[in-house]
This record gives sequence, structure tokens and C-alpha cells, in this order.
Amino acid sequence: MTDASNNMPGLQPKHPRLTSTLRHALLIAVCFVMIYPILWMLSGSLRPPEELFGGDAGLVPSQVTISAYPDGWFGLQISFGRFFVNSLIIAVLSTIGNVLAASLVAYAFARLRFFGQRFWFALMLGTLMLPYHVTLIPQYVLFRSLDMVNTWWPLILPKYFAVDAFFIFLMVQFFRGIPRELDEAARMDGCSPWRIYWKIILPLSMPVLATAAIFSFIWTWEDFFGPLIYISEMRNYTVQLGLRSFIDSSGTSSWNELFAMSVLSLVPIFLIFLFFQRLLIEGIATTGMKR
Amino acid sequence: MAEQTLSRPAAARMRASPSRLGAAMRRNGAGYLFLAPWLLGFFLLTLGPALASLYLSFTDFDLLTTPEFIGAQNYVRMVTQDPKFAASMKVTLLYVLLSVPLKLAFALAVAMLLNRGMQGLPVYRAIFYLPSLLGTSVAIAVLWRQLFASDGLVNSLLAQIGIEGPSWISNPNYSLYTLVVLSVWQFGSPMIIFLAGLRQIPTDMYEAASLDGASPTRQFLRITLPLLSPVVFFNLVIQTIEAFKAFTPAFIISGGSGGPINSTLFYTLYLYQEAFGYFRMGYASALAWVLVIIIAIFTAISFLSTKYWVHHDD
Amino acid sequence: MATRIELKRVEKRYGAFDVIRGIDLEIKPGAFTVFVGPSGCGKSTLLRMIAGLETISDGDLLIDDERMNDVAAAKRGIAMVFQSYALYPHMSVYKNLAFGLETAGYPRAEVDRRVRAAAETLQITDYLQRKPRALSGGQRQRVAIGRSIVRDPRIFLFDEPLSNLDAELRVQMRVEISKMHERLGNTMIYVTHDQVEAMTMADQIVVLRGGKVMQVGSPLELYNAPANEFVAGFIGSPKMNFMPVKTEGDGVMLAGQRLQVGHALTAAPGTPLTLGIRPEHISVGGEGASLGDGRVELVEHLGGSTVLHVRPAGDRNALAVVLPGQQPCRTGDTVPMRVDPAKCHLFNPDGSALRH
Repeated sequence: MTDASNNMPGLQPKHPRLTSTLRHALLIAVCFVMIYPILWMLSGSLRPPEELFGGDAGLVPSQVTISAYPDGWFGLQISFGRFFVNSLIIAVLSTIGNVLAASLVAYAFARLRFFGQRFWFALMLGTLMLPYHVTLIPQYVLFRSLDMVNTWWPLILPKYFAVDAFFIFLMVQFFRGIPRELDEAARMDGCSPWRIYWKIILPLSMPVLATAAIFSFIWTWEDFFGPLIYISEMRNYTVQLGLRSFIDSSGTSSWNELFAMSVLSLVPIFLIFLFFQRLLIEGIATTGMKR
Repeated sequence: MAEQTLSRPAAARMRASPSRLGAAMRRNGAGYLFLAPWLLGFFLLTLGPALASLYLSFTDFDLLTTPEFIGAQNYVRMVTQDPKFAASMKVTLLYVLLSVPLKLAFALAVAMLLNRGMQGLPVYRAIFYLPSLLGTSVAIAVLWRQLFASDGLVNSLLAQIGIEGPSWISNPNYSLYTLVVLSVWQFGSPMIIFLAGLRQIPTDMYEAASLDGASPTRQFLRITLPLLSPVVFFNLVIQTIEAFKAFTPAFIISGGSGGPINSTLFYTLYLYQEAFGYFRMGYASALAWVLVIIIAIFTAISFLSTKYWVHHDD
Repeated sequence: MATRIELKRVEKRYGAFDVIRGIDLEIKPGAFTVFVGPSGCGKSTLLRMIAGLETISDGDLLIDDERMNDVAAAKRGIAMVFQSYALYPHMSVYKNLAFGLETAGYPRAEVDRRVRAAAETLQITDYLQRKPRALSGGQRQRVAIGRSIVRDPRIFLFDEPLSNLDAELRVQMRVEISKMHERLGNTMIYVTHDQVEAMTMADQIVVLRGGKVMQVGSPLELYNAPANEFVAGFIGSPKMNFMPVKTEGDGVMLAGQRLQVGHALTAAPGTPLTLGIRPEHISVGGEGASLGDGRVELVEHLGGSTVLHVRPAGDRNALAVVLPGQQPCRTGDTVPMRVDPAKCHLFNPDGSALRH
């Protein structure tokens, strides 16, 4: 597949239609291979457990049963409903924190003038490169001393301090694109920096705020490491932790239930992807960042 | 009258200095007020903890008793008498060196296929991006574990063409490669960045080149690659850092052990085991700092190498 | 009583870079003052310093004798029309006009009354509910002006407000702004790089170059008595002709001919000077002192006037000559050029004008 790329950038291929058809065929093949595992998981969640392994690589179950869904949902001492609600609360609160804090800070960097601005900006960019492992243990000690272990606070609070520089960077890039004359007109209209931020910059930044909110939500939803180290009691579990427990507690017999719960855990992300994929793709393309 | 006019500016300036100072304070004040969340977070949650972990890396610390300063013993032990450190380092480097180039090559290849406003581009792009978006969730790791199980999808497919596949996940010779495949499967986001980069290359360059009779291969080597090299560099740095930080798939697929026989013992997984399995927080801090240094070295090498292969406009 | 603005040794530095270098200027109450100059001359910076959008590095800005250096932009009683209009894209025209008043905390009824009055004057009442992107360039311009009017400011500032409009609209808006000035009588400052705009609109023109004032005066003062070579060349179109000359008694020597200039010269004989003559002051075969014969290199028929490019005998630069009406000249013709000595300008080697 990779060596095919060498032939691709040609502008005037000898057989344009053939090349185009080949290209589409190749792309569709790649798409199929990529999506197949996900479809296989979906189909697996609808099969009777004994059918999953036994050499059937196809997607069509011999008999469709949705029993894996309710069985899996109540498969642990605490139902997945609880985990979903927990994850949702954490993700929503984190998202609000990220968008609020990052937009404030980004506004300072993009629009205000203050002593040491370049220095702080460079530091902020520097933290993008810093692996979180360096801060992990002292942060754990800190939250432990605040008696916050086994609560959601260690997962939520840092977002209100704009710890993830990615979002600041994303917004600074966008804010810089808003004509400065608008700020100046607002200043002539008597606006304070706060009012310019609230009445001019934020309303004009809806696309980037939405992008940040979506990424924030998805990453918090998918986060496994944070909950893994901070949350110990099952009633506080997130969906990701719930899935992990499910693997540990169930044998091979209930793989269909595990698949069912896995599928459900992906549904929110998939829905967001369905409705907002354009924003996500633009967000990545403009900042060039990714997890 | 004349005297009055003359003296006014001087007087005004004297009056002004405190208010001018006030204006400067107001301006700085507003800036720092908006910056406050990040500043607090930076000192309390980033810089402070980073320095603290640097200190802890020179101590013996089990979370319950006070850290005991032991000099460089943690680092010495790491290098001289810890086979698991060596194993995890080897696994991680192998993972980084395999998965990053493969992923980028795949991303670039597909981006080239997709380039230049072909029909259905948004749909393809979206589908290719989906795995990147789902990638780090536990569900995908669960799926992967099942795809490559001895009776999983991959072996079912192989069986149909008469090959009896090994048990990929539980065979230490293969287990790491399943994780590499998982990483390559998530080529979508570097691909999007490549696409954005490709769009920056002016079409008339290709037109001029084909008028000059340059073959597509030559065009790719002489126009596309050089002009795209800053983007390649960017993706390389980001993906390398991300690869070093990978955790969830190895944790889920090996059930938290990094097995079989440490073959999927990612560095981060080992760090987690030391910190939150054995509560050797001092040693884990030392591991974290070694990770920082290794990432820094990789990044520095990438940056230093840029003058040999990254094209700049100036 | 309209507002007086005074600048005293005002300076602006960006790091080591001087943009405004010690400007002393008095802007007369109620006058329409135009800052004009080539790009990079500091005219916009100066305007923005008056507005309060740029800090003043040194010197004093006085508005009605009150020092304003450290007063916030909105508290100076100034409204500004921006080059790009800077309309808030997410607000309706009505909201755009009302925003400043709402920020200042005016009661809703008062806001409404003022917005509607301004909209009426500028004939934009029909568009009040539209967003700026649904307006044409001219309509946006009106909204931008409306936004400045509603606040009832002491001073209006305009930063190249017409440069984004097409030629026809520009002329129309020029007239409207002039009428607005007549009607309101406020002090207004207008920045442009277009000397025609400056000449047609200004009561007082301030010519700037390299962060310094080159000359201040009414349009005709600048035209009739430019203080230096730069202003002489900048004001008037086509550009004034410049020729190197040497003094000779009470006249100057130009290409071997003695030209009697209308005023006494005190400089020592042989001093190099620059002679400046406006194209419209040169006649062909008329009265006055002779400039010698020249060969017509190019003829531009403008209908109302005819522009000739004439190369005089000897190794001299071509001169532009504007003749009234339509002339039967052709390329290659030889024409005798003459000038009224009273319309000649002389400049010292440092560029300053020799005064009468």
C-alpha cells in the first residue's frame, strides 16, 4: 500500500479515469480494512456468546440477540448506568473548565499586553512537550493530602486551571485571526478588557470554543489513566474503569457482553464524531496537534 | 501668559507620573487577571510538582512515611540492577521506532491518495480519522485483545487461507507487534495534518514540473517531500512524544502486567506498577525524569537533524 | 463651542524605533483637519495616539487644555471610524450602533432614540436588523459613521475610511462626510494618503513625513506656498517639476539661460538651488520668462486639459506641462515653454523653500 504513494502525485496521468477508479478502489479497500474490526465488535455484541469464537470472521450473526446488552449492563455489582452518569458528570464539568479557563488565558496571550508576556507564552508552549508523568506523583500526593483521592476532583479541578496547554494554544491561534480593529472599536465604545472578551471575542469564537469543548469532552471520556490511579471505589467508577473491571471479572464466556458494553462506551464519541467531525478535523489541521 | 504656557507641560508631566504608572499597572493587572487560572495551575500543578518529583527521585518514598534522601541510588539501581527497567526501555524504544515511522508513512501515503479535492474526500477523511478518535479508549484495547486472540478474528481470517496463526497476544515474540498495528491503525490525525500541509503546496509548482517533464516519482521526491518536510517534522515530534506516553492498550491487553515475559511492558506501564503497585514513589519519580530526559533527547535530535532534511522558505 | 486639540512635543517609540518624532500641533476648534503623507509617515499612529489606542511615549496631548495622555480611550469623548469599519460581525446594525451607549449604561429608551435618529440621518433605518455581512460597502461605511455619531462625541477621527470603496462611492461619501462636518461643526481629524481627498475636504492639512510635521496650512496655502520641496511635490497633480539651478545675480541659471525669478535673491552667485514649477503654470508660447524649447515626448488628452511630457534641449529631465482645454499637439513637436516668474518656487539644498 505504501509504495503506491509514489505514483500518486502525478497531475496528468495517462488514463485519468482508470487512475481515479483505481484510487477509489484502493481507498475503499483501506476504509473497509480499518472499519472492519469495529463492525466485527458490533456484530459480536449481537451474537450468542458461543458463536463469537469458532472461526467465523463474518459480520452476520446466525441469530441476532440483544441480550448481551442488558446482561452486560447489570453484569457488575453496580450497573453501567452509574458509570455512564459518572463519566458524563466528569466530562461535562471538565469541558466547562477547559473552555472557560483556556479562553481566558488565550485572550490574555492573544490580545492583552502585559509584562513578561512572551516569557509566559514560551513556558506555556513548553508544557505542551512535558510528559504528565513528571507531575504525576507529587500531584497524587497533593490531592491525597487534600483528601481528594477516590473523588472526582483530581480529574476535574486541573481543567479549571488550564493545565492542558493544547486548548490555550488552539484558542490563541483562533483569537489572533479576529481583526484587532474590532477590539479597538470596542475600546472606543468604552469596553473594559472583560467586556471585550465576553461581548466581542467569545461570540466570534464559537467554532473554536465548540472544537475545544468537543476534544475536551472526548479526551475526558476516554481517559483511563486518571481514573485508574485516583478512583478506587466502584460507585465512583467511570465507564472506562467499568470496562476494565468487566474484563477482570468475566471469563471468555461473556465476551459478547464485554463487546456490548464496549460498543456502548463508544456511542457518545461516535455521535459527537457524526455531528461535529468537520470541527474536529479543522481543529487538528489548524493546530497540528493530536493525542 | 507666556510663562504659564511654558510651565504647563512640565507641571502636567509631574502630575502625570503616578497616573501613568497607574495606567501601566491597570494594563498589566488586566493581563495577569486573565492569566491567573493558568499561572496558578502552572505553579501548583505543573512546575511545583515537577520540581517535587525531581527531589523525590533522590529519595526513598512509600507515600506513607516521609521521603528519605538516598542520593542517586534510584538512578544507579535503575541502570545496574533492574532488569525490568532495561526490558521496559527496550520494549518502548522498539515500539517508538517501529510504530512512529510506520504510522507516518501510512498517513502520508493515504494523504497523497486523498490529495487535491478528489470526490468523496470528506467522507474518506472522516472514516480514516475515526480510529484516531476512538483510539485510546478501553473499548478499542478490548477489541484489539480479541482480534489477535488465538481464536480471534485475525486467526479466523488466516484459517480461511489455510494458515494456522499463532496466539498473537500471549506469544512474547508477537505481542508487541499487535500494539504497533494498533498504533498504525490510528494514522488518521497525522494524515489530516499532512493533508493540510499538502494543500499549502501551490498547484502551479506541479504544473511547472510536469511541463519540465518531471515524472510523478521525481515530483514527489523533489517537490512534495521537501515542501512537506516541516509538516513531517512536526508530526514526527508529536507522534514520538505520544508513542513514549502510550499506556492504555498495553495495560488492557496484558491485563496490567506488561506480559507475557515483559514483552509489552511499556515504560509508562512499568512506572505505573512501581508507583501505584509497589508504592515505590521515589523510584517511580526517577523513572519519570529518565522518561523526560529520553523524550528531550529524541526531540533535540529531531530538531538538530532538521538542518539536513527540513526545507525552509527563507 | 467645539473642541481644541493640542500636541506638545509628542513622541512615539517602539523599542529603539521612532515613529513619531516630537510633533507640536494645534488643531483648531471645529476645523476639519486632514493628516496626509506617504505610507509609513506616522499619520495613522498619530491619530491612534489621539484616540487613546496607542500610548504616548513622550510629550503631552491636551484636549480642551486638559492633559489626556493617560485617560482611557472611551473617556476622551472621541469617536473613531476605522479603515475596515470594524463593525461587530455578530451584531445587527442596530446593536452595532447601540453597543457603545449600552456599555456606557444609557437607559434603553435613550439608546433607542439616539440609534433611530442616527439611522435616520444616515438613511440606514431599513437595514437596522441586518447583520453587517448583508450590507454593501457603502452601507457598512454609513453604519460605521452612524456608530460614531450616536455617542455624540467631542471629536471625530477617521482613519482612511474611504480606501475600501470604489471610486464613485468614494466621491459620494467624501461629500457626505464634508456635509456632516458642516452640519455638526465638531472638530474632526481625517487621515488619508490621498492628496486629492486632503485638498477637497480639509480646512487644515497637516503633511507628515518620517514622523515629523512638514507643513500645516489650508489647502491653498500648501499649494501656493509649500514650505519645502517635499510638500511641493506631494501636493498637486501631476507633480511639481523640479530642476537643479544655480543663482546668478537676482535670477537663476537654467541650462545656460538666465531666468528672472519674481523675488530678490540674497544667496551668493553660483549657489545650487532647486527650481520648482507646477505643470499647470507652464504655458506654451504664452507670456512670461522663457524656459527654452522642448520636444514633446508624450501627449495625454484628458478632455478638459492636456498633459504634455516635454524634454527640454540639453540633458535635462522631461517636464510635465498641463495646458487648458484640448490642444493640437503631437509627439515630436517642438514647443517654446514659458512661465510666470511669480509662480516659480525655489528650494535650498536642504529642501526648505526660499521665501518671498
